[in-house]
Amino acid sequence: MVQESGAKPAPDPGQLGYTVQGIGVADMAVQSDVMEAAGPYDRAKALSAFKLGDVTFYWLTRACAISVLLILGGIILSLIVGAWPAIREYGFSFLFTSRWAPSADPPVLGALGPIYGTLITSVIAMMIAIPVGIGIAIFLTEICPIWLRRPIGLAVELLAGIPSIIYGMWGFFVLGPFLANSFQPFMISIFDGVPVLGTIFAGPPSYLSLFNASLILAIMVLPFITSISVDVFKTVPPVLKEAAYGVGCTTWEVVRNVVIPYTRVGVIGGVMLALGRALGETMAVTFIIGNSFKISSSIFAPGTTISAAIASEFAESDGLHQSGLILLGLLLFVLTFFVLSAARLMLMRLEKKAGN
Amino acid sequence: MNDLSVSVSAANGPVPQVALPDAPPKVTARGLNFYYGEHHALKNINLALGTNRVTAFIGPSGCGKSTLLRIFNRMYDLYPGQKATGQLMLDQTNILDPKLDLNLLRARVGMVFQKPTPFPMTIYENIAFGIRLYEKISKSEMDGRVEKALRGGALWNEVKDKLNASGLSLSGGQQQRLCIARTVAVRPEVILFDEPCSALDPISTAKIEELITELAEDYTIAIVTHNMQQAARVSDKTAFMYLGDLVEFDDTNKIFTSPSDRRTQDYITGRFG
Repeated sequence: MVQESGAKPAPDPGQLGYTVQGIGVADMAVQSDVMEAAGPYDRAKALSAFKLGDVTFYWLTRACAISVLLILGGIILSLIVGAWPAIREYGFSFLFTSRWAPSADPPVLGALGPIYGTLITSVIAMMIAIPVGIGIAIFLTEICPIWLRRPIGLAVELLAGIPSIIYGMWGFFVLGPFLANSFQPFMISIFDGVPVLGTIFAGPPSYLSLFNASLILAIMVLPFITSISVDVFKTVPPVLKEAAYGVGCTTWEVVRNVVIPYTRVGVIGGVMLALGRALGETMAVTFIIGNSFKISSSIFAPGTTISAAIASEFAESDGLHQSGLILLGLLLFVLTFFVLSAARLMLMRLEKKAGN
Repeated sequence: MNDLSVSVSAANGPVPQVALPDAPPKVTARGLNFYYGEHHALKNINLALGTNRVTAFIGPSGCGKSTLLRIFNRMYDLYPGQKATGQLMLDQTNILDPKLDLNLLRARVGMVFQKPTPFPMTIYENIAFGIRLYEKISKSEMDGRVEKALRGGALWNEVKDKLNASGLSLSGGQQQRLCIARTVAVRPEVILFDEPCSALDPISTAKIEELITELAEDYTIAIVTHNMQQAARVSDKTAFMYLGDLVEFDDTNKIFTSPSDRRTQDYITGRFG
């Protein structure tokens, strides 16, 4: 029985194989016929349809990319064209003249005041925002209990979402009066008579001042520094931090010696981004800086920045005055460009150093 | 401290392979339990690390070896939701005491990790950094301490000409020895090794193993390893752990030749794990 059943199927495979082979060959012949008939035509058509899509896609993306260059070039070009009368009239003395008298005859325009105000407000803003922003980031990543992490993180993000005009109004109606009535008199009285600081913190107190604008700027750029710092602090490998804790470091020592050196490049990137924002911020600053072109050594005196000067005067300007304002805009453009290039350069050098 | 360690190592002489007399316990765990949140990761662990002995912890992944190691220096404290109960003594100090100064504990119980973790600074600073946390010493004294630590890490001859190069510029094996030197530099009493060779090539591994044997003259050592030959080579005592239980804890020779528990035997003969 077993033998029979074992022997019986033996001839079958051959037969089966033969028929299968036969069917296979016939099938293949039919298939290849069909393919030969339909193949080249279909394929070419399909390919050409693809090709059209591909070419369109290629040119579309290329056009998008090139449009950025065109827009950038166009802006630079129109700035230069618009500023040309002022450049021809004042030349380099535009940079070193502090008098701004557009209604004089002939008008005298000097950018020193706005440049000074822009740099001073940005520097003070960064001096406040860098330590506070990094401090918040350290707290959020290293120290904060989990239940508090979300509320604080959310608050920082919301800070970034507040429109700048609202910062301006708040600075004008709340922060300005507060500073003028309490903080400024306090600082003035403390540093009265001290050689250098005495001239920096000199009176009279004012609602509208460089310092108030700096403070608002600091609050506005804080979220940039914090969120980028938090992101890069999270990239520190836990085992590296554990190793530092393992030799007996306190949290401060771990942050100071491991976390910050490890993330230096990223933190500097965040700071530079914030600086770029601070240099160009217009609306809030225009509200509370006082729009005075006079250069004062006191940070409690009113001043102006490049963007605030343009915003407050452009609507009523014409002729050489308007050209001068456009030249101010060109200067801001160049200034930001240099800041960002310097940041890039610094990052590249740091990366090179770290790579060694 | 230094004199003491010298005299102890002189008394011990070269570490013999068999029949080491029982050493007084340095770290003692009694009824130690550990929880990751709800998960009961270590169950009623009782053991003692002998002074100036090497104790190896073996077992399949997830059995709790590394977890146990991280209790010895309270590393788990960095993460919320993890807690240990029971008793764990380092000499007369209760390691689990919530009021214990963790920085001082970690100075006494050093740790070397699975991956080399040089700090982002120079080789010299990697060593000096830890010393500076505890001692204010002069530059020349510091130079001496750094050299001694690097010699202790069997790294001095390779790096003496480039102490100001970045710690990250070294090879993996050198980085790991730098980490050992860094740990030794703060003069701990216990050194924990968490799979110190798993990221290294065989030659670097051999160097580290040799180093561990040398270090055992002055320090109490606990090592977690996946490599059973390594455990057999470097340790005096071996603990086999499985699913959070300490299954067997005995002389290394006994564990590898005649284990008393069926699971230990299955694991060391490669039947699971």
